[in-house]
Amino acid sequence: MGVKEIVKKFLGYRGTIPTATVVKEGRLSGYRFYLDYLIKDKVAAVALAIITLFTAWSVVEGTLQYVGYATRHRALGWALLPSNPIALNFAASLHPPSLSHFPVYIFGTNFSGESILSRLLYAAPKDALAAYLVVFSGIIIGMLVGTFAGYFGGWADEVLMRVTDAFLALPGLVLAIALSVLLGSGYNSVLISLILIWWPTYARFFRAQALSLKSRGFVEASKLSGQNSLMIILRHIFPNSVDPVIAYAALDFGNVILTYSTLAFLGIGIQPPYPEWGSMSSNGLPYFPQNWWWSIIPGLVIMTVVVCFTLIGDRMQDLIGGRLTY
Amino acid sequence: MQISTLIYLVRRVINAVVTLLLLIFLIFVLVHTIAPTPVALARIYCGSPHCPPAELQVIIQQYGLSLPLPVQFAHYVVNIFHGNFGTDTLYKVPELQVIGELLPITLELVITGLIFAVIIGLFTGSLAAANRNNPVDYTVKAVYLVTWSAPVFLVGFILQLFLAYELKLLPPSGLANPTLGNPSPVTGYPYLSVVPQPLQGWLSGLVRAITSPPLIAAAVDGDWRFFVSAVHHLVLPALAIAITSFGVVTRLTRASMIDALDRDYVKLSFMKGLSKNRVVYGTAFRNAVIPIITLIALLFGFSTAGAVVIEDIFQYHGMGYFTVQAIYNLDYIAILAITIIVGISVIAANLVADLLYGWADPRVRLE
Repeated sequence: MGVKEIVKKFLGYRGTIPTATVVKEGRLSGYRFYLDYLIKDKVAAVALAIITLFTAWSVVEGTLQYVGYATRHRALGWALLPSNPIALNFAASLHPPSLSHFPVYIFGTNFSGESILSRLLYAAPKDALAAYLVVFSGIIIGMLVGTFAGYFGGWADEVLMRVTDAFLALPGLVLAIALSVLLGSGYNSVLISLILIWWPTYARFFRAQALSLKSRGFVEASKLSGQNSLMIILRHIFPNSVDPVIAYAALDFGNVILTYSTLAFLGIGIQPPYPEWGSMSSNGLPYFPQNWWWSIIPGLVIMTVVVCFTLIGDRMQDLIGGRLTY
Repeated sequence: MQISTLIYLVRRVINAVVTLLLLIFLIFVLVHTIAPTPVALARIYCGSPHCPPAELQVIIQQYGLSLPLPVQFAHYVVNIFHGNFGTDTLYKVPELQVIGELLPITLELVITGLIFAVIIGLFTGSLAAANRNNPVDYTVKAVYLVTWSAPVFLVGFILQLFLAYELKLLPPSGLANPTLGNPSPVTGYPYLSVVPQPLQGWLSGLVRAITSPPLIAAAVDGDWRFFVSAVHHLVLPALAIAITSFGVVTRLTRASMIDALDRDYVKLSFMKGLSKNRVVYGTAFRNAVIPIITLIALLFGFSTAGAVVIEDIFQYHGMGYFTVQAIYNLDYIAILAITIIVGISVIAANLVADLLYGWADPRVRLE
């Protein structure tokens, strides 16, 4: 096998790409359709596997942490980890990555001698929760606001468009910084500010969908048969506008993780000693470049997760055919 | 100037002003939702959660925080249009003065980064389009999917580690070599006596702001050793910004190049016997480049946000570095001022992009 074939095999699309019409035919295709396609594509299958692992680990570890917190047995939170992520151990301070005491030192340790691996694993649920919660809240708020504005039109629509204009005028990160600092530092305030800045994109998206759907034949028919507007929205508009947004949402999970970890890097969010991917990276800043692993490995982990989300989102956009407009 | 061009211009400017007013309104609403009572608001203005009650009362009086909300909003807008963003809690000088000197430093960095990003993006995008669906295309796609998924701080750290510390090609941090001494500031404004008295302070502030970025300061002073040092220090952070943002340009260039390559005039060029390179980079490229202009504002906002992190890593003392300090010191006034000023910059970038697009593609003006 030549270089060309190898590159094509691992980076290219495998098999034939189903045309957009297959999806547009109806909702029969559903998630099975996406799943089939993603598994056939080797790169996307690997990405999907990593995301599944990340999500599954986050659910298990997050549950343990929560139960540990609720029952006042904090140690339950690190029962599955190779070492205690918040126990000081200055004997092992700034240990470079090595295979001794596998797997505790595989990513090295920080100044306090805490294993980077344990801290990364301990922090994973926070990133997963942020990604899923922010995107799903964005979709739900955007769907309610956007669909109603698009369907009914008039002044509500006008107001919505102007409000989203104002939100989208600023880079998300800058607005997120301002909001979460004003709300007071902490995990919850970061989540609230991310949700606040995340819904306008989805609102515009669902509005565009509602505008194009409301003049379609089946909606008109439903209207003529005396169906009330609420039922039309619930039965026809919502189900038909969700499909195309899935691809964008898959890509967006990665965006949320990037923004969230950048906020953490700037010191907004979870406070020490509890670890967070972004803040681990920034804590290593004074020890850079001699102790490069402290800053770089958390960054690489963030990148891996985000690349996987991006890949899946990208493949799904190809599937749906063309870029989304909002 | 044609009447349609004029209408286009006026409409764009009105649009920008309305968006700006909405942005100010949005921030006002958000601040008042988070701090609904005058005392809570005064705490924000005080800059410390442990402000003595007497001082809070003084602040409420001073800023009129117990007035009805519409009056407060009117004051807020008037203040912003007068450039009055409050007094910095750390430096004890007007916020506009601090940001006025720091923003141009960041703009220099961001604009350099954007130029790099557009160059890399145009090159890789047209490369991918010319080699559509073959390994070159897939490699370009793999590269930009990875770079736009990378957190900006990781890119900064990796560049610093390899290019500055390992290969020692470029200096790792700072605005310029600290041993050189800063270029002397512009003094004695000969033109100041010409303008009327009330404008003089404003104008000298403007001149100080424009000459604050290291490159411009060195060029104005004629200090070329400092200039070269400043260029060396600028490359790495600008490259970090470019690497995280060029993917968007690549993607759009590829799409619009593929579209352009299918057009009849391109086929005609091939039929005339022009070489592939000549057709791709000469004929098709010129028309495919126009949509890239619409990305300028998007990229500008994205890079300005990225500059906050990049300036922290590279110790590049511009507005981004100041933002990080403000976060650590819980300097709310500074953060609100930065938010509004970044908003104004992005809206201005939007306006510039719109006008450029109208200039490059006359059809837009007629809509």
